Amino acid sequence: MTHRIPSRRDLLRYSACGFGALGLAAMLDAADPRQALAAKPSHFAPRAKRVIFLFMHGGPSHLDTFDPKDKLTADHGKPLPFQAPPAFAGNQLGKLLKSPWEFRRRGQSGIPVSELFPNVATCADDLCILRSMVGDSVAHGGALMELHTGSFTFTRPSMGSWVAYGLGSENQNLPAFLTLKPPLGHGGAKNWSSAFLPAYYQGTPVGYGGSKADELMNNPIEHLQPIGQTTEQQRFELDMVQKMNRRKATPSDPELEARIQSFELAFRMQAEAPGVFDISRESAATQKLYGLDQAHTREFGWQCLMARRLTERGVRFVQCSHTYYPGNDVGWDAHNELIRLHTKTASHVDVPIAGLLKDLKSRGLLKDTLVLWGGEFGRTPVAQAGDGRDHNPYGYTMWMAGAGVKPGFIYGATDDYGYHAVQDRMHIHDLHATLLHLLGLDHLRLTYPYAGRNFRLTDVAGNVAHKMCA
Amino acid sequence: MSNRMLRLAFLLPILHALPALAQTEYFESKVRPLLDRNCAVCHGPKSRMGGLDFTTSASITAAKPRLLDVVGYLGKVKMPPAGRLKDTDIGILREWLASGGPVPQQSAAPAKSPRPTLWSTIPPEPVPVPVVKDTQWPRTEIDKFVLSRMDAKGLRPVQAADKRTLLRRATFDLTGLPPTEAEMSAFLSDPAPGAFEKVIDRLLDSPRYAERWARHWLDVARYADSTGTDEDHRYPHAWRYRDYVIDSFRRDLPYNQFVMEQIAGDLLPAPPGEALNTRGIVATGFLALGPKLLVDEDRVKIIYDIVDEQIEVMSRGILGLTIACARCHDHKTDPISTRDYYSLASIFASTKQVGDMSERVIKLFTVPLVPQRDAAAWTAHQKQVTAKEQEITLVRNKVSSARLVRLRPHLAGYLIAAHQVYAGGASLDATAQSASLDKIALQRMVDYLKPDGERKPHLEAWHKADAAAIPTLAHDYQRRFEATQQARAVELDVWRNAVATAKQAGRTPPEMPRYFTGDDRFLSEVNSGSTGPFALPANEAEAAPLIPDEAKAQLLRLKAELAALKQSGPRQPPMACAVAEGDRVDQRVFIRGSHEAKGDPVAKAFPAVLTTQQPQITSGSGRLELARWLGSSGNPLTARVIVNRVWHWHFGQGIVRTPSNFGFTGEAPTHPELLDWLALQFAADGWSIKKLHRRIMLSSVYQLSSQPMESQRDRDPENRLITHFNRRRLEAEELRDALLSLDGSLDLTMGGTLQSGEGTDDFSTKRLSFSPEESKRRTVYLPLRRSNVPTSLMLFDFGDATTTMELRNQTNIAPQALYLMNSPFVAARAETIAKQLLTSAASDADRIRSAWLRIVNAPAAATDVDDALTFLRSYPRGNAEQSWKSYVRALIASNDFLYIR
Repeated sequence: MTHRIPSRRDLLRYSACGFGALGLAAMLDAADPRQALAAKPSHFAPRAKRVIFLFMHGGPSHLDTFDPKDKLTADHGKPLPFQAPPAFAGNQLGKLLKSPWEFRRRGQSGIPVSELFPNVATCADDLCILRSMVGDSVAHGGALMELHTGSFTFTRPSMGSWVAYGLGSENQNLPAFLTLKPPLGHGGAKNWSSAFLPAYYQGTPVGYGGSKADELMNNPIEHLQPIGQTTEQQRFELDMVQKMNRRKATPSDPELEARIQSFELAFRMQAEAPGVFDISRESAATQKLYGLDQAHTREFGWQCLMARRLTERGVRFVQCSHTYYPGNDVGWDAHNELIRLHTKTASHVDVPIAGLLKDLKSRGLLKDTLVLWGGEFGRTPVAQAGDGRDHNPYGYTMWMAGAGVKPGFIYGATDDYGYHAVQDRMHIHDLHATLLHLLGLDHLRLTYPYAGRNFRLTDVAGNVAHKMCA
Repeated sequence: MSNRMLRLAFLLPILHALPALAQTEYFESKVRPLLDRNCAVCHGPKSRMGGLDFTTSASITAAKPRLLDVVGYLGKVKMPPAGRLKDTDIGILREWLASGGPVPQQSAAPAKSPRPTLWSTIPPEPVPVPVVKDTQWPRTEIDKFVLSRMDAKGLRPVQAADKRTLLRRATFDLTGLPPTEAEMSAFLSDPAPGAFEKVIDRLLDSPRYAERWARHWLDVARYADSTGTDEDHRYPHAWRYRDYVIDSFRRDLPYNQFVMEQIAGDLLPAPPGEALNTRGIVATGFLALGPKLLVDEDRVKIIYDIVDEQIEVMSRGILGLTIACARCHDHKTDPISTRDYYSLASIFASTKQVGDMSERVIKLFTVPLVPQRDAAAWTAHQKQVTAKEQEITLVRNKVSSARLVRLRPHLAGYLIAAHQVYAGGASLDATAQSASLDKIALQRMVDYLKPDGERKPHLEAWHKADAAAIPTLAHDYQRRFEATQQARAVELDVWRNAVATAKQAGRTPPEMPRYFTGDDRFLSEVNSGSTGPFALPANEAEAAPLIPDEAKAQLLRLKAELAALKQSGPRQPPMACAVAEGDRVDQRVFIRGSHEAKGDPVAKAFPAVLTTQQPQITSGSGRLELARWLGSSGNPLTARVIVNRVWHWHFGQGIVRTPSNFGFTGEAPTHPELLDWLALQFAADGWSIKKLHRRIMLSSVYQLSSQPMESQRDRDPENRLITHFNRRRLEAEELRDALLSLDGSLDLTMGGTLQSGEGTDDFSTKRLSFSPEESKRRTVYLPLRRSNVPTSLMLFDFGDATTTMELRNQTNIAPQALYLMNSPFVAARAETIAKQLLTSAASDADRIRSAWLRIVNAPAAATDVDDALTFLRSYPRGNAEQSWKSYVRALIASNDFLYIR
């Protein structure tokens, strides 16, 4: 009866053409919000139930954080011995630039972590370092969109939306996919949009890059709070709405019933969300663990703490972004002044990230939560403007921690200077395939029919990196 | 690599010398198995990726020129993608090619199974109107087509909708707004058989009709006011295209003309007496206003992505075919090949798409809507303005650098004094006076040096130093500072010489060095002529006392001149975001969609399956020929697709229920004869959309009740045979516009733009787009930023304004409920309406009845009145205004308001 959403017969036809069974179920539910966001079975036993993505907007340098290069140090100041691939800054690139930070082997695993992350380093044995990331775009806009949606040419659903579509939500009173303080530039809302997937699966933004955590605590989501009405008055009003709607609805009319339910869900969401965002009940020790007691770590610390609180309540996909924008004088995008910018930016996130990992672990959440860390690309081993590094999508580092990945493990490698991924190359499509795999979803079967064909997060590519899976 | 080549070089003469038979044997025994084994999975008869099928000689021949590059992983295209072939295999290919690469014909090529013909590619034929037994129900021919299908299935249409429901339905349908109470009573009290026809004519004449139906087309045209994707630059003139669409619907421009103008309006003749076809230029915004990536090193890819996007919007929007699927491979299901795709691509690639590409962020292409001469006058004037602005900057810079030069020899003094002030608590005024320092500079130095909790590696040494060590450190800095200054001068000299030498030798001169020996952040910040402590403050008022009188007078004069210049000059001519003829491209098929892998050349042409007569396009881009063909009855799709869209927009379901996909993966028509009959009538009616509306709306089937017959539900659960009308939720624009109209605040100003400026807004919250709450204009006039479509529109399935949209979703999500319950916009409307109701002298019961008529266009039943009275009486802890506001909002949130029945 809801003809704008593909009908049952469409679906049977698609399914006859090999349309994945899971997609089919989700499509049939699309008319009804109760079903659309209900938890759904995965394709096979999942290792992870939910994802926290710590997004480092701007592109942290892998060479100065998790991928030390002795040869780079040794050849400091010399020209790159091979032709550099196209870079963002064109001909501004100079000689090889060694990392100004020292690396030390950490934990039992001996994973090297630089001085930039003294706290994350204490969690080294939980990290699975992906040193062979590869993307296709040297510009921020393209790279952000590819990382988030798998495509930088077209509007495609965000990975969070695909995960919500594939698995639904474990909490019917909260959105399945939340993104905390996402950047408004470089694709903006495209990076958390559900594109052609039904609107239930779109990311719900909590503030934007530049919003202040202290303001968001009271009003995190648009239209969440009644204005000029008490809860009691609103319930009274809502009962009136429902009474009018019920009178006309018939049992054979699921659309109107679904609308009635959507009001109830809204009301519950409104009741539940403020409690979720109220961190005053967290102990002083916990707040300190995330760095909420320090000005420079308070913002990202709040995001990380919220990520834990939201995942604890069954939210499927939470993204925390550390954003930069021209004029705010901080961020990973160190085209010059690598030392100052990376020192400062790392100091904003190091304590909160370590706090999150430790907190998840101590609460037993790390077992079935997958944490993903990284930027839209890494940085070049050659200097830009004397003391900076340019964008490098040809080989860079992200890391995962928690459910389903090998702890204290290094996957893949870049060349001697850290320019290109050379071993176990992990393209963004492969990252997406692997992420879905860890969630029990087959990236080839998680499809959605649109514009005449079935689409998936990994387009026509993607291989699961089984070697890094525990 | 070179070793291998050497080895192979030995082999070459041997193979060359072989007779033809041996060459054939070599191919069949070595080369063909190798291709079969490694390539044919993708490049075989099934997949034919990149249009290549290595079981055919033609494809092997076509692939030869680039084969070694591709399998040798020498270029961007690396095949096979799973891993490079073994060296011995590459050697075999190399030998074969070196011998001339003969490809023997395969004797028994497997016969291709013929594809079934796609129904939509067969031109519509005149069909007789079916004869039906029931002569009462059918009002028009449409009804006979529909009824005959119902008869065949033993189904009956439900009863007709009542007059109230019908007027509400027709008014929202044609204008996107609710009927007024006066319109309702006029219709109810008109018993004439032609009453509804009068209503349709009234609505079609209303400018509100054009605004509503233009918006439908804008969905197809994926209209927005910015480029979206990476940079999301504003399209400053996009609104002219939107206004053009509204105007076209208003004047009922024949649809074929509408299509032609949007593809090649710039090439159609100007109206008599006018120099330019400005309307036609604006119309090409259809092509020009798509999402565009503005930053990518690969400029060719940028252009071909734009071309692809245009093929997509043109083919799905006008032809109902997914031709863009054939960019990388022949269409998987439809009879569209990569050759068809690149024949069209050739046309759009020969069209001017973007402006200046010399900088990293490419410029948008805009076209002045005045003759060249007038446009040139404006450009010249703009240059003068820029020059004047630069003069002002120059004077300011001179003052600033003079100040810098005067103060920086005293750096140490400032450093020490600043430390005394922020660390020692000394008074700024007194310190400045006793050390004879400039007070403003000292204040700025204090601000710069004072620790603010942030870690600053370049100031760490300074901050860690004991008070006692400060003077030494300060003088140390000053010495380093002076040394750096000298080094900088020397290095700049060296650079200047290098530039001169390079120029003489005709080489590219080196770029100016940005970093110098001894340079560090501390010194470069202190030395900054724009932001450093010694620089002239950016703030005008702060800077004023520091500018010498002479310079002050100069600035005053220059600013007056600038103002006068701006006043006197020509105004910016009206501009359009449009396309124009570009450099003619000789197109080749791009293998797997990559412009670096070029295949066969293709001519500019239309999809082969749709035409028997290909055009001869010998000059120009071919857009004009394409436009004429699209706008003619010579192709089987244009008329069918638009009548189906109009049907879809009226009924909520098309005769083809995938309005932008008439291919094999789309749906087959539920009433194929009706579709063809409508298409032919439409062309015969002069492609008039308004006549089509009348034809459809005057039918009995349009006027059916939306209450299905329970007994028939199971036999046609999706209502494909249209036994009843489809209820639908208000669309995003209808919801907003109706609410504004209900409280009387809707601003009916037409046309123009609410967006200002160009480019992007960096990363500020301005990117949040124009808020629908900021204006009372109709929603169609709100500027749309692709990166951030306003939440209140997104929530109600507005779409993303980025890809051509065939239909709107109708979701039921909790955030919609939150919006109705909690948004300030809905609350404000409810409050105004409540106040208006309360000022009427009527009783509460009368007010309730009035609210119902106004908001849901239906009378309140006795139980509704009773319920409302109870609600108002027992509303917890609120006064009359609060309880009324709450009741009005409840009515707005009710299905009676949100749904069209």
